[in-house]
Amino acid sequence: MANWLEGIFQFLFKYRPTEFAKGSLAFGAPFSVVILLLAAAAIGVPAVLSYAGVRGKSTRRDRWVLGGLRVAALVVLLVCLFRPMLLLSAAVPQRNYVGVLIDDSRSMQVADENGKARSDWVEHAFGGPDSTILKALRQKFIVRLFRFSSGAQRVDSTAQLTFAANQTHLGAAVEQARQELDAVPLSGLVVLSDGADNSRVPIGDELLSLRAKSVPIFAVGLGADRFDKDIEIRRVDASHSVLRGGSLVADLLIRQRGYAGARVPLVVEDGGRIVSRDTITLPADGAISPVRVTVVANDAGPRALTFRIPVQPGEQVQQNNAQQALVDVRDGREKILYVEGEPRYEMRFIRAAVEADSNIQLVALQRTAENKFLRLNVDTADELLGGFPKSRAELFRYRALILGNIEASFFTHDQLAMLADFVNVRGGGLLMLGGRRAFAEGGYAGTPLAEVMPVVVSGDAVADSMTFFADLKASLTPPGTSHAVSQIGATPAASAARWNTLPAITTVNRIREVKPGAVTLIKGTMAVGGRAGDPGAPLKSYEQPVLVYQRYGRGLAIAFPVQDSWNWQMDPSSPAEDETFERFWRQMLRWMTSDVPSRVVVSLPTDQSNPKNPIAIRAAVSDSIFIPRNDAKVVAHLTSDSGFTRDLSLDWAIDRDGEYRGTFTPDQPGVYTVRVSAELPGGTTVGDTSYVRVADLNTEYFDAEMRAPLLKRMATETGGKFYTPATAGSLAEDVALSKHGVTVVNQMDLWDMPAVLLLLVALVTAEWSYRKMRGLA
Amino acid sequence: MNMSRVVCAAAALCAVAVSAADAQRRGGRGGGGGFNQFFGGPDETYRPPAFHGNPVYDGRFTFARIKYRGFLHWAGAEGPGWSHDYPDAEENFTKILRDISAVRPFVEAGPILGSALVALDDPLLFKYPVSYMSEPGGWMPNDKEIAGFRAYMLKGGFMIFDDFREGWRGNYDFTNLRQQMARAMPAAKWVQLTGKEPIFDSFFKIDLKAAVSPTSAYGNNLPTYWGIYQDNDPKKRLMLIANVDNDIGESWQWSGAGFVPIAAANETYKLGVNYIIYALTH
Repeated sequence: MANWLEGIFQFLFKYRPTEFAKGSLAFGAPFSVVILLLAAAAIGVPAVLSYAGVRGKSTRRDRWVLGGLRVAALVVLLVCLFRPMLLLSAAVPQRNYVGVLIDDSRSMQVADENGKARSDWVEHAFGGPDSTILKALRQKFIVRLFRFSSGAQRVDSTAQLTFAANQTHLGAAVEQARQELDAVPLSGLVVLSDGADNSRVPIGDELLSLRAKSVPIFAVGLGADRFDKDIEIRRVDASHSVLRGGSLVADLLIRQRGYAGARVPLVVEDGGRIVSRDTITLPADGAISPVRVTVVANDAGPRALTFRIPVQPGEQVQQNNAQQALVDVRDGREKILYVEGEPRYEMRFIRAAVEADSNIQLVALQRTAENKFLRLNVDTADELLGGFPKSRAELFRYRALILGNIEASFFTHDQLAMLADFVNVRGGGLLMLGGRRAFAEGGYAGTPLAEVMPVVVSGDAVADSMTFFADLKASLTPPGTSHAVSQIGATPAASAARWNTLPAITTVNRIREVKPGAVTLIKGTMAVGGRAGDPGAPLKSYEQPVLVYQRYGRGLAIAFPVQDSWNWQMDPSSPAEDETFERFWRQMLRWMTSDVPSRVVVSLPTDQSNPKNPIAIRAAVSDSIFIPRNDAKVVAHLTSDSGFTRDLSLDWAIDRDGEYRGTFTPDQPGVYTVRVSAELPGGTTVGDTSYVRVADLNTEYFDAEMRAPLLKRMATETGGKFYTPATAGSLAEDVALSKHGVTVVNQMDLWDMPAVLLLLVALVTAEWSYRKMRGLA
Repeated sequence: MNMSRVVCAAAALCAVAVSAADAQRRGGRGGGGGFNQFFGGPDETYRPPAFHGNPVYDGRFTFARIKYRGFLHWAGAEGPGWSHDYPDAEENFTKILRDISAVRPFVEAGPILGSALVALDDPLLFKYPVSYMSEPGGWMPNDKEIAGFRAYMLKGGFMIFDDFREGWRGNYDFTNLRQQMARAMPAAKWVQLTGKEPIFDSFFKIDLKAAVSPTSAYGNNLPTYWGIYQDNDPKKRLMLIANVDNDIGESWQWSGAGFVPIAAANETYKLGVNYIIYALTH
């Protein structure tokens, strides 16, 4: 309720609305109710009768109106005789405690209150003995001051506040303060905050605890709940790991107020060096706009990439224009097995496309004749000597697999099951290329691989001469526009434009249906002047997916039902130096290996953390056929660029097969390397590495508008109240009426409310006026 | 003297006679004159009688024979040098390739046999990343053809040069090939192959000494094999191979007619198969 409205209310009804809300109504008349009722009847009945008996020039209606007004006045008087009163529990002065929790985080420095910092009001209202609200509270309570950020800490005065903490965890702070004041009569907790909690921890448990203990929260929301002018990169989601030379795709969420439609630069920096620059159009006020950025990761190692929008004129918060992401740019060599059933151009061009890529080892098993194979790019003389791997251990050494134009009957049933497990269990990437012996045409319907594929593979195998054929023009679907694999230009827009100019390709695999949950990135439409259809049955128009994927189990299954993507390279429409084809296939192979797990997988809850925050390490350990192992000796070797070293033993988590856990707390800023090695029985040692950047993070400046809904929820769910600085004047009195702590019941008369007198005067005046008007006086 | 030797000798004599007459007409090494004056200008391209159109592209491996302008190295019914042995050579070769390897090449479709005929300045060339040129001694490309050839090679094309000689009876075909190659790729360096390169082991283990076409009739010159590596780096792919003083196409042509001993024909087939498998895998 607005202040002026509350003032009028208090003038008329003697007390504030809060007091009425907290109190209960009672009557304090010294006589018995029956006597009073009889007296009322003795007075009222003759009065009514006297009106009823009067005739003269009055009408029946006049008599009813006048009688009614007279009775109403008498009823008001009668009620007053009952002596109505408000029974209100109030804290006994100086017998109860109040905890005042003051947000000590950096967001309190934001100057969004007419150019004044949020902390200024704290200083004004709680800064000293004469400060308005603190003084009022101290008249009624014993006040305990706390400062809080990630937890609460007792302080003697606001002079000890720094407003420099880099985290706000409201739930933990109020719970900590409550526990500290658990032994004393507590009337409530006063929370002075902008509510910009960045702990990402739900507050429900703490509120339940406060309700159970009957501790109300009186929250004062500081700051503007909407900035006038601000641009914020709210979030950056990027792959934690990418192969060197690969395209890193980062998804940004950008929100702004006051710059709708403005075009601003978006810069990506790696160690201060600009690695990408684009111009984006800002969304409508308050809207959150997703933006996708592609960066080529050329430098190996942990890279802290900064995504930044330069500060625009008039911005209220400048620190939220940049976000960082830590990316592990791997310099390893990803080993991919390409099994090709027919010597054909597709394999030759794909090999050439990735030949110069030092991070991709494309091992080719080329069938050149029946039971005759050409092995290319193998590591040892005996690798693939027996043809396609016959055991899981042999197959699972590869991180991804490409099946070229090779029929299903080439594989034994066990090998087909192994291929499915390669995706499902091992978590590898599997790509099936188009060809007369691939997909349904190659007899894969009903095999374990049909289940894995992202497209429906059904129908009998087809003879070479009877296969479907279509000339297709490839174009990106909406999901494909921003996917890493399709980025063949400098920007997503340039990529989309380039796709539209690529020459036609052909397919001999008719794809009729994409599985639910699969994503089509590239589609093909019958090229202008092209052909499509089965032999002797041409179609007038035709469209089918060209690149589809789905997650299957732990891995990735991709369908690329095209037989001659090499046309993108050879076609005379593109210059000889054009690298579209190479880029596409390098990105394809990188994508296939991007999330493939190793035998040890280290995971950290975050890639960035503030110092002194505990970091939990989880390591999943498996054997050569990717069965989780609980009998490994697992050690995390921790190092940082600031010289920190420590070996931490990880223990098997009994609740999860193959998972080992441990925790460490970094003290100093730096990039910490977590290298986990697992020694399996038999002496095999396998390992994995992850990174975490420990730094004083600017999290306080993100999502820093005053979060009134959270503070209101805290207040209402605990029986307290939410205030703004403008309405906080009654805070001390409201806390006093909280009914918690040591209280006394006050009897507050209501009969003498100005509203009652006004009502009586109004009734009598109305009666007199009516008579006058009707000439009955 | 057995029958096959007689046939071989007769074929050799015929080849020598045709070649000598051709050389005489041209006034020795290369140059104009001859049948290009008789049949048309240097910008006209011969159309073999056996040509009934190119197969429709369907993604399969298709043997592509390069045709070029002019009528040099004329050989009677076989026409100018580039069309020698057409279409029997490719028809026989693609059948052999289909039967012994996993390649599923185009072999025939109605009257269309064995191959596609493409010019170096024809965009269709780029549908056939592996191609074959017969008698490059008579190849006198214009700038447009040179540009097409250069783009073809740089984009990943592979070309087999066959049926030509160097220094025998006034023929300096390889010299001409080098000169034309220098126009297309000035920095490219020819390398003589030793027989140990992967191309000679991509399907068959080739013995170069045995892989001599018995019909080539190139005197006492033993064949040599030359190539150009991508970026002149022997670790990278061969972009082309030149059978100098050899004519494997002719051996393919006559292999089905009993004109060439099977064993000898086999050796030249081996070379062809290896070339194709190499080109499709490297």
